[in-house]
Amino acid sequence: MSGAGDAGVQARAEAGAAVTMTLADVRAAVNGVALWCPDDSPSVTGVVAADLMSDVLVDARPGHVLVTGLVNVQVIRTAAIADLAAVVFARGKTVPADVVDLAQQMKVPVFASHESLFEAAGRLYALFGTRPVDAGPGRRA
Amino acid sequence: MTDAEFVRAYEVAGADFTNAGRASTGIKETLKHMGLPSALIRRVAIAAYEAEMNTVMYARRGTMTLHVTPAEVVIDVRDEGPGIPDIAQAMQEGYSTATPEMREMGFGAGMGLPNIRRNTDEFAITSEVNRGTSLVMTVRVS
Repeated sequence: MSGAGDAGVQARAEAGAAVTMTLADVRAAVNGVALWCPDDSPSVTGVVAADLMSDVLVDARPGHVLVTGLVNVQVIRTAAIADLAAVVFARGKTVPADVVDLAQQMKVPVFASHESLFEAAGRLYALFGTRPVDAGPGRRA
Repeated sequence: MTDAEFVRAYEVAGADFTNAGRASTGIKETLKHMGLPSALIRRVAIAAYEAEMNTVMYARRGTMTLHVTPAEVVIDVRDEGPGIPDIAQAMQEGYSTATPEMREMGFGAGMGLPNIRRNTDEFAITSEVNRGTSLVMTVRVS
């Protein structure tokens, strides 16, 4: 739980700066590899972890990163429709070329991580979890 | 509807999971080009995508027609398919008749119709068994 991203975030927090998470922080926290990400400086507002895209369409807020174990083109379409900042494919699953091609076409940054979904989500919770969360309308609103 | 109405129709093929979502993506791009607020576009896009996935999953084919006026965005979805015998039951969160293939694609959690209602200002659904289902989804601009 002590990747380079954690150290960077920690240093900024200790410097008293307002901490804004970026795609670079997310990638570092999950030991991710960028499959398509032309710019890792955009900020990230939060995280949603799910394998059901139906749930993502209810729970995700704009600017969230989706962490998922599901690997298909609908993940990319869902991320684009819901204005998500990026997708992290967990569990070290092979990401087919057509998924990466669609991500590039739809301008959705994608990362691959060998961490389990639990581990990846846990590391991101350590980055985001203590900050106020905009729960949005939610399913029980 | 006024003289300023913009109309564009999108065809949706049943069981075509590879292209599922293209119509909704097209609708979203069209609304972006019109310069509508991003939060409004997102609500319309999510409602459209849920409706499109329902068409792909359950119907033989369908048409999504986008209507835009200065006052509202309306999407009229008409499909040819099995229809919904009990709409009240289908509107309940978690109720689903999805197949394993649909779930493998990440859909079929029984949240589609409730999520359409959540993201729209007006939502009307009618259905005839063995004929098809029609949705009219409205998001007000102002």
